[in-house]
Amino acid sequence: MPDAPPAVEARAVSKAFPGVIANARVDLSVERGEVHAILGENGAGKSTLASILAGLYRPDEGEVRIDGEPVHFGSPRDALARGVGMVYQHFRLVERFTVAENVVLGDPRQPMLLSTRRAEKTVAELGEKYGLPVHPRARVGNLSVGEQQRVEIVKMLYRGADVLILDEPTAVLTPQESENLFETVNAMAAEGKSVIFISHKLSEVLAVSHHVTVMRDGHVVARAETALSDRRSLARAMVGRDVDLSVQRAEAAPGEPLLELENLNAEGEGDTVPLRDVSLKVRAGEVVGVAGVAGNGQRSLAEVAAGMRTPSSGRVVVRGVDTTGKGPKAARRAGLAYVPEDRLGTGLAPSLSISENLLLTHPRPFFLKRKEMEGTAREAIEQFGIRAPGPDAATRGLSGGNAQKALLARELSDGPEVIIVASPTRGLDVGATQAVREILDKRRRAGCAVLLISEDLDEVRSLSDRILVLYEGRIVYETIGEDADVEDLGLAMAGSDTGGH
Amino acid sequence: MNDAVWVLTLAAAVSAGTPLVFAAVGEILAERSGVLNLGVEGMMLLGAVTAFLAADASGSPLVGLLAGTLAGGGLALVHAFLSVTMRANQIVSGLALVIFGTGLATFLGNPIEGDPLKPGVTNFRIPGLAEIPVLGKILFDQDPLVYVSWVVVALAAFYLTRTRTGLALRACGESPETADAMGLSVARLRYAHVIIGGLLAGAGGAYQILARVPSWSGAGTTAGIGWIALALVVFAAWRPWRALLGAYLFGAALAANFALQAAGVNIIPAEFLSMLPYLLTILVLVALSASSARKRLGAPAALGVPYAREER
Amino acid sequence: MQVRLERRLETRRGHRALVTVLSVVAALLLGAVFLSLTGKSPLAVYTEMFRAAFLSFYGITDSLAVAIPLILTGLAAAVAFRMQLYNIGAEGQLYVGAILGSWAALALTPGLPNPLAIIIVFIFGAVGGALWILPPALARAWLGTSEIITTLLLNFVALYLMRYLIYGSASYWRDPTTTNFPQGKPIPEEAFLPVVTLTRVHLGLAVALLAAVVLWVLLSRTRFGYDVRVVGDSPGAARYAGISVRRTIIIVMLTSGALAGLAGAGEVAGIAHTLDPNGLAVNFGYTGIIVAALARSNPFGVVAVAILLGGLQNAGTALQSIPGGAGVPVEVSYMLQGAILLCALAGELFIRYRLRVRRGLPDELIEGTKP
Repeated sequence: MPDAPPAVEARAVSKAFPGVIANARVDLSVERGEVHAILGENGAGKSTLASILAGLYRPDEGEVRIDGEPVHFGSPRDALARGVGMVYQHFRLVERFTVAENVVLGDPRQPMLLSTRRAEKTVAELGEKYGLPVHPRARVGNLSVGEQQRVEIVKMLYRGADVLILDEPTAVLTPQESENLFETVNAMAAEGKSVIFISHKLSEVLAVSHHVTVMRDGHVVARAETALSDRRSLARAMVGRDVDLSVQRAEAAPGEPLLELENLNAEGEGDTVPLRDVSLKVRAGEVVGVAGVAGNGQRSLAEVAAGMRTPSSGRVVVRGVDTTGKGPKAARRAGLAYVPEDRLGTGLAPSLSISENLLLTHPRPFFLKRKEMEGTAREAIEQFGIRAPGPDAATRGLSGGNAQKALLARELSDGPEVIIVASPTRGLDVGATQAVREILDKRRRAGCAVLLISEDLDEVRSLSDRILVLYEGRIVYETIGEDADVEDLGLAMAGSDTGGH
Repeated sequence: MNDAVWVLTLAAAVSAGTPLVFAAVGEILAERSGVLNLGVEGMMLLGAVTAFLAADASGSPLVGLLAGTLAGGGLALVHAFLSVTMRANQIVSGLALVIFGTGLATFLGNPIEGDPLKPGVTNFRIPGLAEIPVLGKILFDQDPLVYVSWVVVALAAFYLTRTRTGLALRACGESPETADAMGLSVARLRYAHVIIGGLLAGAGGAYQILARVPSWSGAGTTAGIGWIALALVVFAAWRPWRALLGAYLFGAALAANFALQAAGVNIIPAEFLSMLPYLLTILVLVALSASSARKRLGAPAALGVPYAREER
Repeated sequence: MQVRLERRLETRRGHRALVTVLSVVAALLLGAVFLSLTGKSPLAVYTEMFRAAFLSFYGITDSLAVAIPLILTGLAAAVAFRMQLYNIGAEGQLYVGAILGSWAALALTPGLPNPLAIIIVFIFGAVGGALWILPPALARAWLGTSEIITTLLLNFVALYLMRYLIYGSASYWRDPTTTNFPQGKPIPEEAFLPVVTLTRVHLGLAVALLAAVVLWVLLSRTRFGYDVRVVGDSPGAARYAGISVRRTIIIVMLTSGALAGLAGAGEVAGIAHTLDPNGLAVNFGYTGIIVAALARSNPFGVVAVAILLGGLQNAGTALQSIPGGAGVPVEVSYMLQGAILLCALAGELFIRYRLRVRRGLPDELIEGTKP
């Protein structure tokens, strides 16, 4: 039906936040039964656009139309009533509730007296139909991320969504889980639903979508039928220039082991997963990548290795010095630097200034030398190209990329020989990602031992000399970087026994 | 008939615990929605003084109770406005509520300081049940507000676990982003439950003056039971029935002073007996955090965190 | 067109001062409502209060004398606020500081030279305050027990303890010559704080100002202050940097308690010259929380706000005792203090956010961002 109005339409939608224009007169048109990808880098304005379509944000100007009819969503309730549902990148689920309770939450059809029986039945049916198996009575907090995502999708289908917006849905999935998701997406489109698939990963967009809209810096820069477009032109539209993310890596010539973890066992603290019998060595001039789905012990591994946590058994040896459980300061004295995944809140104190934060992991005199700190900060800002108002600016206001550069500036400043980095490029745009990867590779070539812990499999594969897979706190797979087989890695990440190399 | 001292003491414990029941259940509802309101003591005091003035003027304890309840709700509205609309620090706002509420209550109560309140509440023996040996005297020979407090607890427990709004309210306290994304109004739910919490705290204060203390004695009228109610919420793991149980336990500590003196125990000075409920509360709080250090027992995940949608 | 709140990227100093002044005005208006409700003329009461607090020599000096303990309790609250800790127990720590301070004065200072005696009294006062906060500090640091309720409840315990010492027993503190109306034993003159002639302003003022300066240097210019800010801002970053969260919590809370204890010792040695439960229980500890909140935990701000609120409290007391003082009880000043804090909290939003009226985005802006 070429004459039918599009299922969802955005016309010249703009949205500004203090200091940034997230969407600048953005147009989007999605047909019924179509999978429409929105491709763009981190910070291009994709999530803002999605949030406007889902009623979470109001546009500053412009118009949203559903089935050709102008709508003014004041809240997600209005959007849901018109059949628009969104699965956020950070799930909107109540962990203490069961699946069924999450599904009926806020449903106006629910009677005043709560009854989840009908919801439980529908959840099972929907799961069957779209390949989304979930147990309706399971507590959401006990489910894996992949299962939680299924709950999110089922929840939206239960609420009668005809337009489903998926914001970076594969970021937390194993390759196999992603494949399953694509099948679900196709099944929904075949049913006549519209799916808006938001991603910064080109290969996924090519694999799953019918049409693609490319965004950069808040503007729509390209629109195409996916089947007729090629990888290179889309990448250029997304980034604004030709890019090659693969780091030109020199041949690895590993030397002495600089970081040795021997039979580490550790209790899970707080929400973290315990470590079980983890042993690994990282040699000088070598990057060892640790892959795995989020929540499989990555935090515990990094914190035990960095001296922040005492293992219940096993040893941590940094450059021949036993630093097991001696605290982060001792590990640093032995030559270790740790760049945590959580930049603001662990790596940096958000309300302290850049110059203060540059002192965080270094020895401090009793009376602080303000002038000197400011000088150091100015140098770092210049050397690492940190975009900031000045050394006194609070790190809270920095973008992800600039915060990461400030963090790296501090951690690499006293020439550590062992570097632990966790998800170093998460949330960064292409330019910053490239800069960070180059910094790491430079250190490797200078003879540092780098332990890279990341949930981004592409990143691990492109940077590592050797790859280990962490599953439920255990190392279950090991392979040489160049030989890494995505299929095998994915299976290992999902906990299937593949009997590695 | 002559009841044993311990039976009378337990009956007194139920009565002494009743203001705590009202206040703690109210606070549970507010906290389950994600708003921490430390202003319980202020709301209770304002409820108490308003109840006194209204009951005195009208000659009706019922009017006093209603007025006191509304006064507590009114003060809670201020907290809701500050913490939900103005996104203020909920701890500081709660403390400000205590200081302002105490100041306002003592200011309003200044002319009546020390005056006895004539219209009070009288006991109502529930026919039949009151004849049960021991238990009848402890539980069913009380004033009507004690029975009302049981209804409040039952309703609150049912509301939280079995109704649609209860589910929405809990979602608000656990994950306001989720509640918002599912089409619920976080602000409206939080306003409503902070105010309900204030109404119940006001009722607790009104009960204190109508049934517990002989006269208005400034801040000493409630003497910190609002804070004990806050501790009770933690003790009860945010569950109404447990709060009822805990309230009677703390009520026993509050009533022990009188009971021990009546029993002729005078080895322990009165001042030390008066310290007992506060020390007991502290010990309980410390013991609770020692036992649940790993996972906070039942505390709503988003408690005390303001929610704003368009924050970047 | 729509109106909405937008987070400010930077805050201006002048803006903060303006919001603070406006919140005082708003609080006075709020107070006026309640004064009118009770049949009093707000204008008359306020002019009378202002005159009593600031328009005469004795008015000013008495206000300053009240400000002394408020500076100290304000600093006590402020140092804890800096680390997102809430010490609501300054009231009780002040009592215990007074108890230990008066004991030291009675037992240790007779015959000593005045300066030495004073130092001893203050040290004992500080130790008393610190001891009283020790259990909540330990529970907070090791078990994570919220310090808010524990420190507060200890206020009641301290109050009963103080009453017991004077009214409930023939303790060391009680004057054996008074039986019907028990009073504390007068402390020896050796331990009296020097006063500015003819006024109630005593040496405690110098101690309080010194404490403010030391605290400011400590918090903003040293490693200790740095650690405090890191722990307060994000415990995760502190753990990562190897700063001991527990040790910092304990040091900060003990400092806070000690400051409140100093206030108690100052009241004993500077004003009452005995342990006087009624004279001490006038909300200095609670008011200190308001002082710190209004001063945004800045030590110098604490001094300024303490003088303002000291004037308010002094005016309240004066109005009550002056015959024909408009018939206003002292409680009116507590009510106004609370109202000022409430209004300041509401005003805080306008420091962090601004109201934005928006009618779409201008073309230049959009063109300017074009990639």
